[in-house]
This record gives sequence, C-alpha cells and structure tokens, in this order.
Amino acid sequence: MSQTVVLKSNKYGINLILDPDVGFEQLLLDVARKFEQAESFFKGARMALSFEGRELTQEEELRIVDMITRSSSLSIVCIIDNDKLREQRVREVMERQEEEDAVRCGHFYKGTLRSGQILECEASIIILGDVNPGAKIISRGNIVVLGSLKGNAYAGAGGSPMAFVAALLMDPVQIKIGDVIGRSADKAFWPGRKKRKRQEPDMDPQVAIVKDGNIYIEPITKGLLNNL
Amino acid sequence: MSEVIVITSGKGGVGKTTTTANVGTGLAQLGKKVVLIDTDIGLRNLDVVMGLENRIVYNLVDVIEGSCRMKQALIKDKRYPNLYLLPSAQTRDKSAVTPEQMMKLTDELREEFDYILLDCPAGIEQGFKNAIAGADRALVITTPEVSAIRDADRIIGLLEANEIKQIHLVVNRLRMDMVSRGDMMSIDDVTEILAIKLIGAVPDDEQIVISTNQGEPLAGKSDSLAGQAYLNICHRVMGEDIPLLDLAAKNSFWAKFINLFKKN
Repeated sequence: MSQTVVLKSNKYGINLILDPDVGFEQLLLDVARKFEQAESFFKGARMALSFEGRELTQEEELRIVDMITRSSSLSIVCIIDNDKLREQRVREVMERQEEEDAVRCGHFYKGTLRSGQILECEASIIILGDVNPGAKIISRGNIVVLGSLKGNAYAGAGGSPMAFVAALLMDPVQIKIGDVIGRSADKAFWPGRKKRKRQEPDMDPQVAIVKDGNIYIEPITKGLLNNL
Repeated sequence: MSEVIVITSGKGGVGKTTTTANVGTGLAQLGKKVVLIDTDIGLRNLDVVMGLENRIVYNLVDVIEGSCRMKQALIKDKRYPNLYLLPSAQTRDKSAVTPEQMMKLTDELREEFDYILLDCPAGIEQGFKNAIAGADRALVITTPEVSAIRDADRIIGLLEANEIKQIHLVVNRLRMDMVSRGDMMSIDDVTEILAIKLIGAVPDDEQIVISTNQGEPLAGKSDSLAGQAYLNICHRVMGEDIPLLDLAAKNSFWAKFINLFKKN
C-alpha cells in the first residue's frame, strides 16, 4: 500500500504531506493511524503543523488537527500556512530574533572545561576558567574565556559571522565563527620551556573575529571593541 | 572513619599499579589498616607487584558472585599484618562486575579498614566506571608528557561529573635533569593545565623497576628518592602538611655546575 500520509519534520514542527487522490474520510483514518504509530516518538510534544500536497478547506484542516490530538498526546500550537513567502518571512524574523537574543544574553560557566567536555548554549557564553585541549564550546552568540582557551571554540553557531571569541590567553586548537574555520599553526603543545618564553607576547588578551572570510586574532584594544 | 580512594590515570603505563602498591604499603607502615583492590579484571598485576601472586585462591569476581566469603579472598601481605590485597580475576573480563556491586563491596570493606585503595584499569569504559563507583576520593596519576596529561584532564572531568569531590594529582616519573634543561614539563607546568591540587611528585627511579620486578614495594625505603616521595604522599593522604621533596637532591655536583652555566 502506498503511503497516503507522510510526516516530515521542519525547524518549527511537522510537515504533513497528504495524498491528493484519496477520499478525505480515508485520509483522516490514515492520519490517525500514522500518529498512533508515532505516539511514543512525539509524546506530549508541542509543535506547529503545516500541510502540503493537497488543498484543504478550513473545516478539513480543523478535522485533521482534531484527529491528531485525539490519536496522540501531541499538541498542535498553530497551523502554519503553506504560503512560501510568508513562511520565509516568519522564519527570517524568528531567526533574527534568536540571533539577537544570542548575542545580547549570556550565560556564565564557572570552572575548567576539560578534554571531552562540550558546553553548548543558544546564548553567548562567558567562561570563568580554562578551556583545555579536547574541550569544546559552542554558542550561537559570542564566547568570552576569562582564562586560557586551549580547546575548540565555535561562536555564531547559527551561521552569524558577526560573532567573536575573546580570551585572556588565546591558544586554541580551532576556532569557528559562523561558517569560517581557523586552526592553530602546527606547533608542539609543549615546545619546551625556553622556546615558550619567547612567545610571551601571546599572553595578552586577544579576540578572534571574521574579516574578509578569514579569522583574525588581534589584541583587544578600545578601537577594536567599539567595532564589534 | 574509612576512606575509599581510587587510583586512576586514563592512560596506561603511567604508574597506577606501582602507586597503588607503594601508597598502600606506606599507609600500612604508618599503622593504618589497608586493603588494596585490583579492579583490572582480566589483566591482573597488582598481586605481582606486591609479590603475592602465589597466594591467590579466590578473587574479586568470586566474592561478588558469592562463590566465596570476603575473608577467604583477602590476602594478607607477607610484610605488614595490617595490609591486605583483594586480587582481580584473570579469566574473566570487566563486564563480570557492575558499579552497584562494587559499591556494595567497598561498603562492606569500610567496616574493617581505614583505607580502601582501588587500582583502576586504563581507559574510561566499564572497568573505570566500576572502579570509581564506590570511591570517596581519587588520586590521578600522570607523567609530565602531553599524552598522559591530556588523558588525565579527561579523567578529572569524568570524576567531577561523577561527583567525586576530592581529586588529587600525582606527577610520576619526573626527571629533574630534563626539567632543569627545559626539555620536560615541570610540576608547575602540569598543575597549571590540570588545575587540581598536587599531592605528590615522584622522580623517575631505576629502583622502582627493580622493586616491581621483585615484588617489593619501595615506599619508605630511605635509600630511594621515589620511596621517600611515596611515603610523603601517604602522609598527605592522611591529611598531614608535608613540604615537597627536593627531587633535584640526587643531582651530582657536576650536573648542578653545568646547569648553572645553562641558565645564563
């Protein structure tokens, strides 16, 4: 039997792709069966619903929603119109809002991030401690390390190239900002005491930003901070 | 009040078993009642380092599975009457034991011993999870090498995540001649990265190889710097505040003389 109802997830909820050729009553039963099967997967989730593949009257839409809520514990928050243009605009506004929130709000994390530990956050992150090699921080906003950054940092994880990564001691394995990746120069983790002494200027607080599609690491100056 | 201490490192070959044997022996010398548990099921060797292999009849897995009583499996040390060993099984693997069973086992031993030392296997899998399950505190062993330090860092993160609050660092196999040349990380370099409290530093010492081969732990032997360092760790485990050994003391006059020139 071919599938008359297909579930697809999108960023805001689920997309219901309906067969245009079967009778509506049959379709309704198929919807019920589909959601009953997926009950354990959705369990109490809240989602937005959109339709595709078939023109529906308002009454039909309501009956489908009704059927879904009766056959599963999924709650439908709203129906999103399949109007591509409007959807695009809703998405843009929501994404911009998320990005602004991410940059404006920050979370503090106190302690050392150790090898194998990942700190992931929608908002910006301020770390009071070190980020050791093998550890990873991911934020949609900015990352500030009040300590040494020796692991991986990924700022602007939503794709924003405007994010920055700042650290008191900047010695990362890799930095990613938006879609740009930069890695450290090939060098020994511990090059020996004498050789290390010569690198003393690296101890200044530095900030990594994206310029012309490349990651630049520069000392923190007043002028630079004003431009962030 | 008894304490369960896990001795762990992540990386293999940095000296977990040697440290367990020596710290255990040292604590026993200081009058504590101590039991050493080898949790490395399938790759047992704490008994060899302790020189007690020929006394094994029952083992850890036998106790956990109820094939024998605890008393039957505990091996009394040949040198110290207040030191015991619970050997690991050689013919089984790590999955023979669960963390819950280990907790039950250590709780049973708490009633009788002052210190319960768990020799942890290398790695972060089942064996590690078993070993840390019942522990109150941890000694993390590392050598001053980047690979060992990286693994120690991971281990410390896992110990913290498992709410083991008291975590101390032992830097093993230090070579002061290399440190003073700037070719090996110093104790400070290591503690700067790992950011936990240091409980002792043990120099690289030929005597350790000899003692391991002979099954005679070195702790407390006055002619060995490593033995002294291990005994100092024991004092600190018991809460005493003892200054770090001057590990460079064995450097010859000429080595010091040359270093003097190199610094300039």
